[in-house]
Amino acid sequence: MSSEQLFEGIKNAIVDLDREECLKLAQEALDAGINPLEVIENGLKKGIQIVGTKYDDGELFIVDLMMAASAMKAAVELLELHISAELKQQARAGKIIIGTVEGDVHDIGKTIVSTLLAANGFEVIDLGTEVPSSRFVEKVKELKPDIVGMSALLTTTMPQMQEVIEALEKEDLRDSVKVMVGGAPVTQEFAEKIGADGYAKDAEKAVKWAKALTS
Amino acid sequence: MTEFTMRTGTGKPLYMTKEQIRSDLEDGTNWATTKAKIPELSGNEIDHILGILTRPGRQIGVEQGKGIVLTTDGGTSRYTGICRYSAMPVSREQAVIIGERFIGFDTFEIGHADYSFRPVKTIAMDEATVIENTELNSVIPVFYGAMPNLGIYFQSQGGKWPSPTDFMNEGKIDEARAVQESAAEDMTNDIVYVAKIFAKTGLDGLDIDTTAAAGDADFYGTLKAIETIKKETDLALEVGMAGEKVFGLHADLKYEGERLAGMWPHQQGLMVEKAGGDIFGAVINTDTGKSCPWNLARSITFVKEVMKTVTIPVHPNMGMGVGGIPMCEVIPMDVVTRSGVAMVELTNCDGV
Repeated sequence: MSSEQLFEGIKNAIVDLDREECLKLAQEALDAGINPLEVIENGLKKGIQIVGTKYDDGELFIVDLMMAASAMKAAVELLELHISAELKQQARAGKIIIGTVEGDVHDIGKTIVSTLLAANGFEVIDLGTEVPSSRFVEKVKELKPDIVGMSALLTTTMPQMQEVIEALEKEDLRDSVKVMVGGAPVTQEFAEKIGADGYAKDAEKAVKWAKALTS
Repeated sequence: MTEFTMRTGTGKPLYMTKEQIRSDLEDGTNWATTKAKIPELSGNEIDHILGILTRPGRQIGVEQGKGIVLTTDGGTSRYTGICRYSAMPVSREQAVIIGERFIGFDTFEIGHADYSFRPVKTIAMDEATVIENTELNSVIPVFYGAMPNLGIYFQSQGGKWPSPTDFMNEGKIDEARAVQESAAEDMTNDIVYVAKIFAKTGLDGLDIDTTAAAGDADFYGTLKAIETIKKETDLALEVGMAGEKVFGLHADLKYEGERLAGMWPHQQGLMVEKAGGDIFGAVINTDTGKSCPWNLARSITFVKEVMKTVTIPVHPNMGMGVGGIPMCEVIPMDVVTRSGVAMVELTNCDGV
């Protein structure tokens, strides 16, 4: 099988949510001596982009997204064993810490965004739900991410996003990171009002926005 | 420039020119076309709806002789209590008679306040008495309505099964799917159990309402229940949906070889027909962020495709938050009559 055929096969395996086929073809690519980074770039990423678009169009659902991400993660783990530390750093799209703000237990939207970001090459540190501003600050200090992502599903918890931004400012950390907000009640207007750098309506737009910020 | 009183998706008055209304109608039909890949409304059809929406008079109606079947869902709760602005101190049996003799409905529905098959199961014999009394006093066909409501079979809502979303949070997709399949089997059994008891009372039909509210497993369990009820009773079955799209929480369930997740109304109707349903209640939810003309054009576009696809009678839902009607408790007469007339004249639906 040529490298082009392998890339196409890996892309299709991701779109078909077929983890086994994806791993099998990734191994074949390694055996054929193909650069693992090319496999990620031309096979896996193209596949996950199609899955993201289908999800955005309502053709695929969260379960499908999770299966595609699982297949991609397994293939990346296999390929990474053959990538030098220097190349790994080059391949990483960026580092993001993400969480649902304090007082809000809603997890799914934030998890979808995390999954899609990770599938697109970002190093994602998911802080979970009900994350207080102090924890966001602590993690920014510790991990030095490129982006802080915050999610809220309730109008009553949206103000917590502003608290996090203010806490980052207080600690002189605000300029070191970009802040992205999202969630059902959040709007572009609100994002601007609280001083966030960006707002994403859905997971796919969050990925596009994060890519634009870190490119 | 002349402005006409339309409504927002939440029911507030919205003053629009003809050009603005036309633009929203075009955007609404385009939404359905783009998402569901179905034909959009023609220019003549848009003009037709525009004419209906801008017709003078606070309320309007169809031409003499062009009336269609009017029925209800949600039980008798609109008369007996759910809406605090219009509730009357009457029993459910009396509410059916009011619907028949004073309002002029062609069928009417009884339901319990809990309105799901699972809680109804435990009081089925009491409900059977209410049904018998109602049937003895009314002439029009009487339905008993309840929701399949798969959600209440999970522990998060007081049910027996672990929540699939908890498994999904842990990345356990197989477990999340398995638990939905088990819960759906329980739900099917409950619907069939209730149907069999009610069939013995002389009940005319069962309205399985808000189907697929908990996603594709909810829809699958309902279709399996329809199959059994049609085999084992002579109840007529009206199957109303929860929305214009089946959400894929399981995402790998198939019926008659077709994936249920992501189905649009015309595809949903076909499944209901194949399972043995007698009436299909298409539901297109109202987007509260859009105007009623936008929502109406979207609804009509979907229902037209349903009418082309299924052969059983179709009764699109035209009430609070569905079918181009605003999401508010007491629906303004101007918008409900205009939307109703447009739905009937544009789609040739069998009832609403």
